[in-house]
Formats: sequence, structure tokens, C-alpha cells
Amino acid sequence: MNLDWSIVWQSRGPLLEGALVTILLTALTMMIAVPGGIVLALMRGSRLRPVAWFATGFVELFRNLPLLLLVYWAFYVMPVLTGLGLPPFATGLAALCLNVSAYNSETFRSGINSIRRGQSEAGLALGMSRSEVFRQIVLPQAWRRVLPILASTWVSLFKDTSLVSVIAVGELAHTAMQIRSQSFRVLEMLTAMAAIYWLLGYPQAKIVDWIHRKYGVRE
Amino acid sequence: MTVFVRKNADKPPMLVYENVKKCYGTFMAVNGVSLHVNAGEVVCLIGPSGSGKSTLLRCTNALETIDGGEIRFEGKPLPTKDAEIRQIRQRMGMVFQSFELFPHKTALENVSIGLTTVKKMATEKARTRAIALLTKVGLADKTANYPANLSGGQQQRVAIARALAMEPHVMLFDEPTSALDPETVGEVLNVMRNLAQEGMTMIVVTHEMSFARRVANWVVVFERGQLLEQGPPQQIFEAPTIERTRDFLGHLGWSG
Repeated sequence: MNLDWSIVWQSRGPLLEGALVTILLTALTMMIAVPGGIVLALMRGSRLRPVAWFATGFVELFRNLPLLLLVYWAFYVMPVLTGLGLPPFATGLAALCLNVSAYNSETFRSGINSIRRGQSEAGLALGMSRSEVFRQIVLPQAWRRVLPILASTWVSLFKDTSLVSVIAVGELAHTAMQIRSQSFRVLEMLTAMAAIYWLLGYPQAKIVDWIHRKYGVRE
Repeated sequence: MTVFVRKNADKPPMLVYENVKKCYGTFMAVNGVSLHVNAGEVVCLIGPSGSGKSTLLRCTNALETIDGGEIRFEGKPLPTKDAEIRQIRQRMGMVFQSFELFPHKTALENVSIGLTTVKKMATEKARTRAIALLTKVGLADKTANYPANLSGGQQQRVAIARALAMEPHVMLFDEPTSALDPETVGEVLNVMRNLAQEGMTMIVVTHEMSFARRVANWVVVFERGQLLEQGPPQQIFEAPTIERTRDFLGHLGWSG
């Protein structure tokens, strides 16, 4: 078998760029899906029935669809439905946000529910409003409890961003696949891609382990 | 026989409960209770577990809403609007059985949070006030501690300081020593006794009979959501008029 690893080094520019897009996509998705998850979790707990139903429907729909399908759907169906012609990056981002917001919503919901009622009552008894109680007492405590789960979600998301390569978003997987099909260096490029994902993902996983140790619930 | 005159009996009462009812489904937790609390009085609510004393206390600051009757505070029925309830709650301090300190905040922050959040007091001013209150409950050296690094008795004293920070007109204590190790019960009761001596109006749900006897001006005995008997501690503890009050006190090993 004739291997030529020089292709990897020659492609370092595009690969680095792809890796940066992957990181950017992960970060942007979380920046939207964390507040999104909090809002959805609050909506699910709302006393207004239609609001709660809408949020429940949203979460159960997007949590239970394959992400790959969601990416295709966002690319082909969303522009028809909404009339918005988004570029691939924004389309991929939207699909990831729908999925991860739904997941984060469940994470936050369990975190919020794990804070016992007496804590809210102590805040209310001081004369605080419900929103003050939520922001000052419930959320900061829930936050610490859900941080390890959010960190795990981040690591999964980092790898799952590769799915948006199917709609030609220029992230790491798409870039590597492009180079592969132009150079016919299949084994080299797939190996390089695996190495890059692993080298970037491993430290993140270690950070998650550290967060679990530091913030994990010990009761 | 001398007639017992309650404290501030010549002034309008601070709190009036009139035929108060509270039910959970078909269970009547409080079933038609009427009593009143005068300014400066220490009223102890005693009775078996599940007799409705804590529920009545929680109805007082509208953590629970009543299903019948009326509660009047400083002459006005408890409001139903959220904003008005918040105003009322600022005038009622509450201390919980399980302390409910905020674990992500230091002792100082626990005491100052009501001042900064609700009263919109400047941080520095709130801090000074919080330190003064923690000093008052004997915890001047624990201001920077998180609740996890305080004993139960210390946590409960912080919780008392937290409630006092709002300058309440009445303090509601919901079994403040029931979750404490026996060795730390005394320090909390001491703080409460000092508070009573300063003239604070207090409603105390408690199983501490010696505290009720020595500190209370008025004792109310509950059973199954109803008021069994009320009177000055001398009467309740030495000459209860009702047989079941005697039974209850007898069960606790109280022998007059």
C-alpha cells in the first residue's frame, strides 16, 4: 500500500481553518442553546398552559429527531417554510441549536427541580419577587448542579458538529472530506481527521472530568 | 384569683386570625382557628405533629393561601396581589426548621441579600448592617463562612439575623430548633430569648416546652387542625383546663 502523508501537511491551512470553524460552531451553538434551554425550562414550568405545552412540544420534537435529519431538514425545508435563505453556516447552526436547546432544557429543568422548595420560600419570605428568587437563589444553585452535564453536552456537540458537513459547512469534517475527494488520499485524510478531532476532544473531556470532580453533587 | 391581662391588650392586636381554614384536598390542616397576637407578645404554638401549627404560621405570611376565614395583619386583611403580599412579607421575618440558608452565599451575604435585593440598599450600607446583626447573634467572626462550614446552631442564628435584617414587625419561627443537635439548641433559644426581651413580637411553633413556659406570654395548643386551648403559660402548663392538653403534655414527659 502506498501512503503519502505529505498531503496532510500540505493541507494544514484549510484543516486549521476547518478546525476553527468547528470550534466556533460549538461555541456559538452553546452560547445560544444555554439561554435557550433556560427559557424553555422556564416555559415548561409556566402556569400558562399554552406556553408550557408549546415548550414541551418543542423539546420532545427536537430531542427525539436524529440530528442528521434535522440538519437536512433545516437545509431543505426551513427556507421553504420561513422564506429565509440562510447561508450553510447559519443553517447548520440553527439545526444544532434546535437540538441542543431541547437537551439543555431538560438538563436545566432537572437542575431547577432539584433545588428544594424551602430555598424559594426563604427568598419569598424576605419579600423577594418570583423572578428575583429565580435569578438570585434558584438559578445559581441549579447552575452548579448542571455544569457537569452541560460540559458533557459540549463535548458531544463538538463531535456532532461534523454532521453539518452534509450541507457543505466548511468545518473540519467537510474540509477533510473535500481534500480527500480531490487528492484520493482517503486513508491519510481520514486518519488525520480522526487525529485532529481526538487531539482537540481529549483535553475537553479531561476538563469535563475535572468539572465533574469539582462541581459534581455530593450529598 | 387574679385575671390575666395580655400584653398591650389596650391596643389593637397586631395579628388576628378569624375562623381560618386551610385544606389539602380533603384533609383539613387548619379547621376554623381564631386567635390574636398583640404587639410585643411571644406566642408559642404547641401541639402534636400534623396538628396544623406550622400550616397556620405559613398562612400568616402567605406562603400558603387560606381557604376560609380571614387573617388581618396590622388592621388589614392579607392582600392577594403579589406586589402587596411582598410588602407584607417584608414586615414579617420567618425562620425555618431546616434553616434554608442560601448555600452559595456567605453568612454575610445571606443576611444582606434581602436588604440589597428587596430594599435596594447600597452594598456597603447593607454590609455594615449585616455585620451588626451577625454580631448581635454572636457570629461576628463567621461573616465570611459559607453555610456548609457552620454548625446547625450557627446556621439557624444566621437565619435569624437574615430575617431581622428586614426590620420585621413580627418574627415567625417554624420549629426553629427541631433540626438541631441537642448541644446547639441552647444557643438558638438564647438568641430568641434576647429577642423577646427586646420586645419583638414573636410567633413560635415549637416542641421546646421549657422555652414556651419561660418565654411565652401566651400559649396556644393545637390538635387536629383545631385550637384546643389557649392561655398564659402558667395556665397551660400548670392547670390546663382541657383533659387532652394534659394528655399531650404528659406524652412529652411534662410534669408541671
